[in-house]
Amino acid sequence: MIRNFRFTSFLSAAKPLTSFACSSSPARHPPQFTSSASTPLRITPPKTPLFLRTPSHAAPLSEVLKWQDWAKDLASSVKNSSTKSEDSLDSILLLRELKWLTEDSITDDITRRELGGEKSVKLRASLEELYELWRERIVNRRPFQYVVGCEHWRDMVLCVEEGVLIPRPETELIVDLVEEVVRRDDWFRRGVWADLGTGSGAIAIGVGRVLGGCGRVIATDVSPVAVAVAGNNVGRYELQGMIEIREGSWFEPLKELEGKLVGLVSNPPYIPSDDIPGLQAEVGRHEPHLALDGGVDGTDSLFHLCDGASRMLTSGGFFAFETNGDKQSKMIVDYMNSDLKNIFSDVKIVSDFAGIGRFVTGFRL
Amino acid sequence: MAVAALFHARFPLIARRTSPSSVSYYCPRTLEFSHRLQSIICFSSSDGDDIVVSEGPNYVKYSDEDLMKQCKFETFRVSGPGGQHRNKRDSAVRLKHLPTGIVAQAVEDRSQHKNRASALNRLRTLLAIKVRNKVDIEAYSPPPELLQILPPKSTIRTSSSGSQIGPNNPKFVPGMQALLDVISASDGSIADSAKLLGLSTGALSRLILSHDGLRMAVNSMRAAKGMKPLK
Ligand SMILES: C[S@@+](CC[C@H](N)C(=O)[O-])C[C@H]1O[C@@H](n2cnc3c(N)ncnc32)[C@H](O)[C@@H]1O
Repeated sequence: MIRNFRFTSFLSAAKPLTSFACSSSPARHPPQFTSSASTPLRITPPKTPLFLRTPSHAAPLSEVLKWQDWAKDLASSVKNSSTKSEDSLDSILLLRELKWLTEDSITDDITRRELGGEKSVKLRASLEELYELWRERIVNRRPFQYVVGCEHWRDMVLCVEEGVLIPRPETELIVDLVEEVVRRDDWFRRGVWADLGTGSGAIAIGVGRVLGGCGRVIATDVSPVAVAVAGNNVGRYELQGMIEIREGSWFEPLKELEGKLVGLVSNPPYIPSDDIPGLQAEVGRHEPHLALDGGVDGTDSLFHLCDGASRMLTSGGFFAFETNGDKQSKMIVDYMNSDLKNIFSDVKIVSDFAGIGRFVTGFRL
Repeated sequence: MAVAALFHARFPLIARRTSPSSVSYYCPRTLEFSHRLQSIICFSSSDGDDIVVSEGPNYVKYSDEDLMKQCKFETFRVSGPGGQHRNKRDSAVRLKHLPTGIVAQAVEDRSQHKNRASALNRLRTLLAIKVRNKVDIEAYSPPPELLQILPPKSTIRTSSSGSQIGPNNPKFVPGMQALLDVISASDGSIADSAKLLGLSTGALSRLILSHDGLRMAVNSMRAAKGMKPLK
């Protein structure tokens, strides 16, 4: 089933976006409703991240400092095991997260209490909730980004919640790759782009901002939670006129655009199924497996995307896919150079900042 | 007082321990920095920081993109495949400017993109502080970027110099570099430099003291010549 709607209706639940200071700040006012939108499946609207909540709580400064000390002790107490396992908590990173949690939940103004003269602090969550949130972070290994409800990605702040993949720093580079192509040729700026498996909408919004006013981005995802969260993020950046979110599997919701796309980007699930049980707790226990599991060798979706790219891209169109690394990237390049021979040009592997062959890019002949 | 500030005070610098993984890196276009420095003479100033004397291009004036092309950009990485496998907020970055070897890092921001921008800004300041371009004191004519950071009472300012650019403005950096070049060519003498810039010694000292990096650079230059630091 494919349903097609613009996600402005969820914004009704979004609280006013207060005190968000950032050079590229998103919309401060919820965008206008469009009455034409069909009714979404998802009943619960996207959650409001901590930093966008109204500071309706207050606590004495001494109590807030007590919470900070407790949280700091808890962070420092995690075993700083010399076993450099990917899965262990690291107190240095936790202390940095605690600083960010503080930034997101505590407003800067300290007011003097009328009685007793003790200073009080305005909070976006009650102190009890802050205790609970930090406990969840450390004891349950709940990802920090779900705890605060957002992730800073490129120059944006994206809302995330359980059910949606937290965008990774590596993926930021896909937007740079698109920017590079668009800068070289204005033709890319005016056409239709697609971001498949958009999750939080990260890539779609990044690309939308690169294209500026002229182009269009269609973002698809099969997960209704992702569709809702992406729609909310698109609205926060006031790009609902330019980015359309469609629910459905990969190319299915794009039928009318066959042979018309000027650009196709995707970070599909690419982890081999056998690796899923051994994932870092934050990832394996909390992020949706639908967003991670790429089948036996992790390439199920990637190969599907390659085939689709040959059908969907117009001549000269650009594609960029993220992969699990060197091995998968080589498999994709080989496939394109053999089974899909004479369909693409300039197919190549691009490394991420850690030197891993993370992306495959190319053009439709 | 801001709680966040209070928090910073209570949490001393959170430093990284992991070392950068130096493999390859992404570069938007082909690397092409064949600019050869005609002469790079490195000497150690008193505090051990290397100063580079350059007769080559003035890197501080490069665009972000061009400067980035001369750099090796690395992330700090723990072992493992990364990408979807990992959720570690280690978006710390390290930028090494290959022609000079100057390294800038940033860890404090929440996105890698912003850390990269911070590191690049930091690199510009370091280049301004550490790379000395030769100037001919006899026939000195101050460049516009220097005029812009001088206080209005400077007699060499013209109406086209615009209003004074302060130390928090990114445009202060190229002016600061030109100022350091003058002071270096005057062998660290504030009085001589002030004369060239149409300022009183006091006014120039105040300008130097308005920026920490500038003050430290001038003082290490003076220390190398056995002169007293500005305070
Ligand atoms: C690794 S996540 C990437 C999310 C986002 N693009 C990002 O980079 O942060 C993969 C996404 O693909 C979506 N997905 C999985 N199977 C899909 C399918 N058959 N059709 C469309 N999207 C799918 C998941 O819901 C998830 O949002």
